This record gives sequence, structure tokens and C-alpha cells, in this order.
Amino acid sequence: MEYRSQKIAYWYFAAALPLFVLQILVGLWLAANYTFTIPQSIVNVFPFSTARAIHTNLLVLWMLLGFMGGTYYIIPEETKSELYSTGLAWFQLIALLATGVTAIVGFLFGWTQGRPLLEIPMALDFVVVIGALVFLFNVGMTMFKARNWTVIQGTLLGGLVFLALLYLFGIPFYRNVVIDWYYWWWVIHLWVEGSWELVTAAIFAFILMKITGVERQVVEKWLYVEIGLFLFTGMVGTGHHYYWIGAPRYWLWFGGFFSALEPLPILLMLFDTMHHVKERKAKIINPLTWTYAIGCAVIHLIGAGVWGFLHTLPQINYYTHGSQVTVSHGHLAFFGAYALLNLMTFYYAMPKLKGIAVYDDRRGKIGFWTMCSAMMIMGLTFGVAGVLQSYIERVLGMGYMVAQGYMRLWMGVTMTAGFFFLAGLLTTVVDLFTLRPAKCINS
Amino acid sequence: MTKKIAFWIFLIGTLSSTLLFLGLTWDTQRQVATLSHVDKLSDQVVAGKRAFEKYNCNDCHTILGFGGYYAPDLTKVVQRVGEEGIRYRVKSPELAFANSFRKMPNLHVTDQETTDLIAFFSWVGEINNNDWPPQDSKKRLSRGEQMMVAKVGVSPGAAVFQTKGCMNCHSLRGTGGTFGPALDKVGARKTAEEIEKYVQNPKGGNPKAMMPSQKDNLSERELDEVARFLATLK
Repeated sequence: MEYRSQKIAYWYFAAALPLFVLQILVGLWLAANYTFTIPQSIVNVFPFSTARAIHTNLLVLWMLLGFMGGTYYIIPEETKSELYSTGLAWFQLIALLATGVTAIVGFLFGWTQGRPLLEIPMALDFVVVIGALVFLFNVGMTMFKARNWTVIQGTLLGGLVFLALLYLFGIPFYRNVVIDWYYWWWVIHLWVEGSWELVTAAIFAFILMKITGVERQVVEKWLYVEIGLFLFTGMVGTGHHYYWIGAPRYWLWFGGFFSALEPLPILLMLFDTMHHVKERKAKIINPLTWTYAIGCAVIHLIGAGVWGFLHTLPQINYYTHGSQVTVSHGHLAFFGAYALLNLMTFYYAMPKLKGIAVYDDRRGKIGFWTMCSAMMIMGLTFGVAGVLQSYIERVLGMGYMVAQGYMRLWMGVTMTAGFFFLAGLLTTVVDLFTLRPAKCINS
Repeated sequence: MTKKIAFWIFLIGTLSSTLLFLGLTWDTQRQVATLSHVDKLSDQVVAGKRAFEKYNCNDCHTILGFGGYYAPDLTKVVQRVGEEGIRYRVKSPELAFANSFRKMPNLHVTDQETTDLIAFFSWVGEINNNDWPPQDSKKRLSRGEQMMVAKVGVSPGAAVFQTKGCMNCHSLRGTGGTFGPALDKVGARKTAEEIEKYVQNPKGGNPKAMMPSQKDNLSERELDEVARFLATLK
């Protein structure tokens, strides 16, 4: 830690981690809903829909907190100045947390906008917007005052402005359900395949540069190419969500073509990570941090790149659209691209915030490998369930519940893997909160 | 490659894709009016959409394939289970899903809201969405039927029974839905002609029947085949 105001990042991370744990607990409950028969009396008061809304909103909340914390950590080092205002950063953390908690408690009482992933009621949306504006103001002012522009800063700021703008499209009520879904994807798709990728690419480039000691010029050159490819493929690639919603037929062509290219930037990201690690100028001090970096690049490619590619071709998507295949892709992609990115950031920044140069990573390694193995298994078992569903329900036309009957076993296996994931996550969270300096046995 | 070239790759890549995307968005906005029959998008349909959102239906059910995957897709629900079928499931889920291993909550939806919901679903079902979902497609289902006859070697009637959604409600040898009675021994009770007549107009045979008429769902040949198949089950 070089600047005092970086300390605020710690509280963002500390807020994000328990929410992540809660997200997984609710996820296990969702898996139990697929595996067992939940009695009518429980379903009446706590239906699957409520639990799903909590699971997905917690995901967005903890990841945004993580991104914001990461940004507040990086900005001072990049601009070589203190943050514009730590007070505003505090205000915004509390506002966002309070909104999130209110929303989740509200879901339990049926206070919802009723649109998947965007369930937060309109009144709270405005608080989110205010929070986002404060965040952008704070980050922007720090950059403008310092005038030490770098590509990493620009990408980060661009991604965050884009993120906030897109959120606006999810707020209004649309009369026509086709238009509703059309703009719903501006939030969901253009977030995860546009603005979030920008933020991720910037944070990733920063950490890679710091831990490998590769020159800024080289890192930033590749950053330009990556974000260019992300946006080139990702913008029109939104079309793979428009195949079956009542949009014009040309989306099958545009969506199919551009989303077939979507793995390219992720592949490039993996290659240049490997390259930088190989060409590193600095000694790698904390091996776990770069294990996370490589894990992130690899599972990002598998989950978002390969799994995404597999079912965005219209001919395949016709059968797999809206099945557990989507769930398999969603879990692997979010975990690989964004959960691991956040955890990598935490493992990079937390030791520095606590003044530990070399940390003891034995528990952290167990956590990492347990989570990654469990999530890969979940990706596969969701996938098996999804293929069964596509074939039995869509190809053979045997009915929804017939297919669900055959899928039940696989959802049970998923739940079991979920318990292992939880164990890995708890290990990781405890480790992050209680990091200790490594005992140097050899030196 | 220099950093300058990299910058131009970024700029041109981003701008070209963004402009194309915005252009297509403009054209889509224009065409959706026809594709979704905006002229039939009445206030009642909108009220139905509001009810759909009020009860967060979309976090269990998908519609146009989006939402929760915990319950069946609702794009073609009116064609599948009929208006009365929807009313029954929404009003008394504890009865409708009594034998199901997955339950639906009773959310105390009012009668007016249910009527609005049905208007909403009827309108959604007519959207021209490239013939999705496949299991409700008139064109593609015959393909599943042919495949079963050819590969699995079942009778044409059995193939119709499996591919035309009969198993959404009825079961054979324990596989299938629990809304309608199991049909393992239906041939002992009814002849092929009686079955054919009943399927076309269930209310005619039993005024209290919940089953929607299959007149539009099945072609004459399919109706004939499935009735003959069922009549052999004794």
C-alpha cells in the first residue's frame, strides 16, 4: 500500500465476502429445490423464485462491491495521488450495502419489480443510480486532478461509465414484452460482455503488470487489442439473445456470426497472461496470486468462451435455449471471469493493505483448488442435466416434468458439489480475513 | 505491432460494432410492431404483464426462454393447457400439483389478475419468434415423431403420444405428468372411436373435464393414430 486512501478498499472487500458466502448458501437451497420435493407450505411462503432473486442479486452486489473496492485500490497507484474523497467512498459503500440489504429483505415480502436479475424495485434503482454517480464522480475527479492518464485508467473509467449508463435501460416498465427483453439484454449482456469485461481487463492488466514486472507499454498495448475485440464481438454479439424473442430474423445471422468470435479476446487474454508470466521481470513473490490469475484466465476461457460458443449457434440454441445448459454456462462463466477476478484482486490487495509482504498461502491454495474443482463438476452436471432436458423435452417433446424427472439425479450431484464449493469458499474467506506472513523456512 | 496500431484496432473495432448494433436496433424497433402484433397489445395485455411481474412468475418460469428454469416455459402456455388449465393451476396449485414432485406456490392471485394474465399469455403466444420452443412447433414436431418411429421402433400412435405433449399431463408406466389420469389401461374402458371423440372435445364426454381440446394440436392422421394406439392398452 503506497497511499493512505487505498485503505478504503479493504472495507469493500470485507463487505463483499460475506455476501458471496450468503449467495452460495441460497444457491444450495435452490439446488435442494430441484433435488427434493419441498412441501407446499414452505413453497407458499418462500418459493424458488424469491430464492433465485436473492441468489442472483447477491451475485451482482458482491461483485460490484469487489470491482469498486478494486478500483479504489488501483486508482491511487495509477494516478499517483490520493483519492479525491474517502468520505464519498464511505458514503457510497454504505448506500450500496443498505440498498442491497433492503432489496433482499424486500424480496422476502414480495417487494419486487418481477423481472429476472433486475428485481430491485424502481425506488431503490434510484438510490443505486445516485451511488453509481457518486462513485464515478469520485473516481473521475481523482483522475482529472492527477492528470496522469494511463490506458488502464481510461479503460477502467470507460467501463464504469458504460456500466452505469446501461443500468438505466433496466429501470422503466415496458409495455411490449419483446422490447422489454430487447433492452433487458442491454443491461445483462452488455454488462457481462461489455462493461464488466472492460473493468476486468483493466484490473487484470494492472495486477499482471505489478506481479510480473512486465513493462507498461507492453501490457497496455495488449489491453487495447483485448478491449477492442471484446467490444467488437460483444456489441453485435448481443444478437444471440434475440433469436427467439420476436425480433427480425437477421439476428440469427448477426448474432451467430459475432458471438462465434466472442472467444477470441478471451483466448488472447489467456495467451498474453501466459506470455507475461513467462517473460516476467520480477520474481513472483506470492505464487497464489498468480495461480488465481491463470485460473481466472483459463476458466474464463472455458466457461465464457467455449461453453458460450457451444450453444450460441442458432441451430443448437434452438434446442438448448432456456435450459440447464444456460445455467451450466452461466455458472462457469461468472465464476471464471468475475468471481476469480475478484478473488485475485483480494489476494493481491489484502496482504498489502495489512502490510504483509509474503503471505502464508497454504489454506488459500486448498480453498482455490476446492472451489475450482467443485465448480468444474457443477458445470458438467448442470450440462448433463441441460442436454437431457434439451433432448427429452425439446427434441422428443415428452413434456417438461418428464425431462425434469430424469434430470433430478444430476441436480442432486450438483448440490453435493455445491457443498464442496461452500467448503472451499469458507476456507478462502477465513484465509483472506486472517492472512499471516509466511514463515520463511528456507531463508 | 506498436501501441498506436493497437489503439486504432480498439477504436475501429469498437466504433464499427457499435454503429452496426445501433443501426440494427433502430430497424428492430421498427419491425417489432409487426412481429409482435402491437395492434393487439391491449391494456388488458399490459395489465397481465404487470401481474406477471407483481408475482415474480418469471423467476421460476421462463417466457420466450428467459427467466428461471424451475418451471415450464410459458410462451405457448395457452395453446398447451388452455385458459381453464391456467386458471386451475394459478388458483389451486396445491390441488393441481398434489401428485407432482415439484410444487407451485399459491400466491392468492385475484380472478381479475388471472384473466389479465391469460390475455397476456395469449398475446405472447402469437408473437412471431422463429417457431420457438421446438416442442410446440407444428413443423418440427413431426420430425421427432418420425425419429421415434424410425429409431426406437414404436408405433406411430405411440410416437404421437410422446411428441405431442400428451405426457405433460398423462403418464404411461409411471412416466409422464400427474394432471390427467394414467392411461395404462385406457383401452379397457374406451374404444378407439370413443377416445378420438373425447380428445377432440373432452367437455362433450365429461362436463367436468379439465383437458383442453386437442383439435388444433393434432392433425386428423395423428388423432387417428394416437386413438388406435391408446385403445390397445388394456
